[in-house]
Amino acid sequence: MLKRHLPYLALLLALIGLPYALSLVTGEPLNKGIPLFVQGLMVQVFILAVFALSYDILMGHIGILSFGHALFFGSGAYTLGILVKYGQWSLPAAIAAVIVIAALESFVIGVLSLRVHGVYFAMVTLAFATVAFILVEATDFKQWTGAEDGLHGIPLPDAINPTIHRTEFYFLALAFAVAVFLFVRLCVDSPSGRVWAAIRENEARATSIGYNTLVFKVQATIVSGVLAALAGALNAMWNLSATPLTMDVSTTINALLMAIIGGSGTLIGPMLGAGVLQLLGYLLNLWLGSVWQLVFGLIYILLVLFVPYGIVGTWRARGVPWRAAWRERLRQWTGRSKVS
Amino acid sequence: MNIVNRYRNPIFTLLLLLIVAALMFNGMSASTATSIVLSGVTLAALYFLVASGVSLIFGLMDVLNFAHGSLFMFGAYAGWTFYTNPRLIFNSAPLLLLFAAGLLLNPLTARFVALPRWMRWLAGLAALALALVAARGFPIDRLVAMGMTMTGKVIPTELAQEPIETMLLRCGWALLAGIVLSAAVAARSVEHIQESARRTLGMVIGLTILGLAILLARNVAEQFILQTENNWRFLMAIAVGAGTGGILGALMEWSLIRPLYSRPIYQILLTLGLTFVFDQVVRFIWGPAGAFMEIPSWFSTQGKECPSPDLFAWFSQHCDSIAFFGRPFPSYRLFIILAGVVMLVGIGLLLQRTRLGMIIRAGVQDSEMVEALGINVRRIFTLVFAIGAGLAGLGGVVAAPFLGVYPGMAPEFLLQAFIVIVIGGLGSIPGAAVGALLVGLARAYGDHIVLAGIQLPGMSEAISGSPAIARASTVLIMAIVLFIKPTGIFGKKE
Repeated sequence: MLKRHLPYLALLLALIGLPYALSLVTGEPLNKGIPLFVQGLMVQVFILAVFALSYDILMGHIGILSFGHALFFGSGAYTLGILVKYGQWSLPAAIAAVIVIAALESFVIGVLSLRVHGVYFAMVTLAFATVAFILVEATDFKQWTGAEDGLHGIPLPDAINPTIHRTEFYFLALAFAVAVFLFVRLCVDSPSGRVWAAIRENEARATSIGYNTLVFKVQATIVSGVLAALAGALNAMWNLSATPLTMDVSTTINALLMAIIGGSGTLIGPMLGAGVLQLLGYLLNLWLGSVWQLVFGLIYILLVLFVPYGIVGTWRARGVPWRAAWRERLRQWTGRSKVS
Repeated sequence: MNIVNRYRNPIFTLLLLLIVAALMFNGMSASTATSIVLSGVTLAALYFLVASGVSLIFGLMDVLNFAHGSLFMFGAYAGWTFYTNPRLIFNSAPLLLLFAAGLLLNPLTARFVALPRWMRWLAGLAALALALVAARGFPIDRLVAMGMTMTGKVIPTELAQEPIETMLLRCGWALLAGIVLSAAVAARSVEHIQESARRTLGMVIGLTILGLAILLARNVAEQFILQTENNWRFLMAIAVGAGTGGILGALMEWSLIRPLYSRPIYQILLTLGLTFVFDQVVRFIWGPAGAFMEIPSWFSTQGKECPSPDLFAWFSQHCDSIAFFGRPFPSYRLFIILAGVVMLVGIGLLLQRTRLGMIIRAGVQDSEMVEALGINVRRIFTLVFAIGAGLAGLGGVVAAPFLGVYPGMAPEFLLQAFIVIVIGGLGSIPGAAVGALLVGLARAYGDHIVLAGIQLPGMSEAISGSPAIARASTVLIMAIVLFIKPTGIFGKKE
């Protein structure tokens, strides 16, 4: 039991100790220089880890491919921003509103889009997300969304303002990521989670056993949408702004990429993927300047072609002879993704 | 009765549409209504050109190509570059051709070199390095500098281009990169080893000669093209755009999509990634800002008698607009409509009247059976991918004088194509046509409404909005169709 959880505990302890260790090594205080910078980088990693995990609920656990996940991320960011800045709502109330709105949104989109299967779903969700992107960029709502510039200057209480209390925000984000991880684990291990897995493996069979698969799919969509919106809200708190980029397709691609790098369907995989992607992106940006996005896209394509099971998936398959393991997973993927 | 039953959905839709149209155009003057309808059909033609390709490809090989909007955009950029300043094409084509020639040596390298797995990775990296050497310092920004439409900005050819020796050196590196890459991917093409070596060599030598010929003739060719009358140049640009789209599509299918037929989910993950790459490539080569393309003179003459009173007068006058019910309508847009209709008819004839079309239709039904009958389905797949992508590329060039070229056109047209397909039914060409018409008309009507404002009963002021609202509103139709009939108007039952 302990042996299984040891790596996770070690990782958690390392993350808790990271700011202090850096401060000790560099001799700089927590809120200056390298420790400050690394904390900022890690906060983004935590936020994206939650986003990637929420995405992977759909892709890795119930086997639905959504290309519109940025919609939830962005709507979380904008809901929080608009309510706190223009509605003068308190933060907890705004977060509650984020949850409610995201749940409603994902319910409506889920019910509409889940009437179609497989690639249709990807297409329909992409259409919805693109429309949301067009709307936040539209000049009609400029007074609330700030159109192309985005919504800036979200007032936050000093206690958790990331520019003043970076370390506190770091731990807030870490706690959030850990909580979401535990929650998703709970979901996946719950009876409903078992049905999700059954739907992923063979939807027709799940239906014939007597499950109403639509209910479970909508359920998964809502859980995933709410978590993504919460990640978006935290992102808005971190940046003190919400920009159209949060709604952009590239944000969805990011989530996809993180899930694939880490290993889809492995829980910790997408979160690790977020870390790898964020740090790699930072380094590539340093070395290559603006070309890095192009390089990034190429890396993505190579990954899809050659390393489809990601870090964790490949690692877990290490004991099994490579090719046999790949063939087995291939069979799973193809078996369930038949377009009906 | 049978017929009524069979076409129940389309007939039902048509009736519904007539009612909606009657309500929409109620109380509008004939000239306004005509101009809305014509604008709508113009957009519909463009949407159709993108959506039909997506639909065709999906129908045959179950690949949903998310990169189709990008092919549209790339075609537009290629056509526009050819039209305004073809220098870039003549300077980069030799490199690409020689790289391809090296890669095509594949069956021969596979015969001599059989690398173990890790060596193939190394060879791949080496090929990348060689390609980077070949491209190092290639003066893209000077080659794309546009001057045709904005006088004074063009860089003289001699300054923009590199001397022929440098280019030859680059060509050599590109060829080498191709050969090394062919060794890296050698194992994948076991079935090709049987092909005759002579044919391979012939193709390689042909490509090499073609590449070198383009390189040597680059100045003459550029002069020739720029001195051609702009109408003919525009028609050539359309061919170039369609060709670029087709070649890119064939390459995509052959190199990226084909290895993944056993993993369909990854296919669409890949095409989604490609949209991102294409976007970045276009920004890298042509910059993030868009550009306008001049309308060829057949459609842009201005004079005393303009706008032409009717279509027949236009044939002699070539006015930039034609009067319909007293309101001028840009004549170029009629050309777009014509292009859409021609392509619709063309696809219809191809599918219904040719042997290839017969194979494609059979492949849509059951591709395994077609393969069992001894037809090389893989080759047909590549061909259909190329046709679909070529349609998108053609659409891009046709759209360029109307909308300009800009990186944002890829997601924009991808979105509309998807909406069109969901409405019409995935895999159906008539569905794509009807869906495109619906979305186009809705879009034009929406544009009219948001600009003129809409006054609902009980409101003192009319609400008006930005065009973005009209763009977004087409998704409503999609939502309605999804709600009533998720497979689309012409879709088959799941």
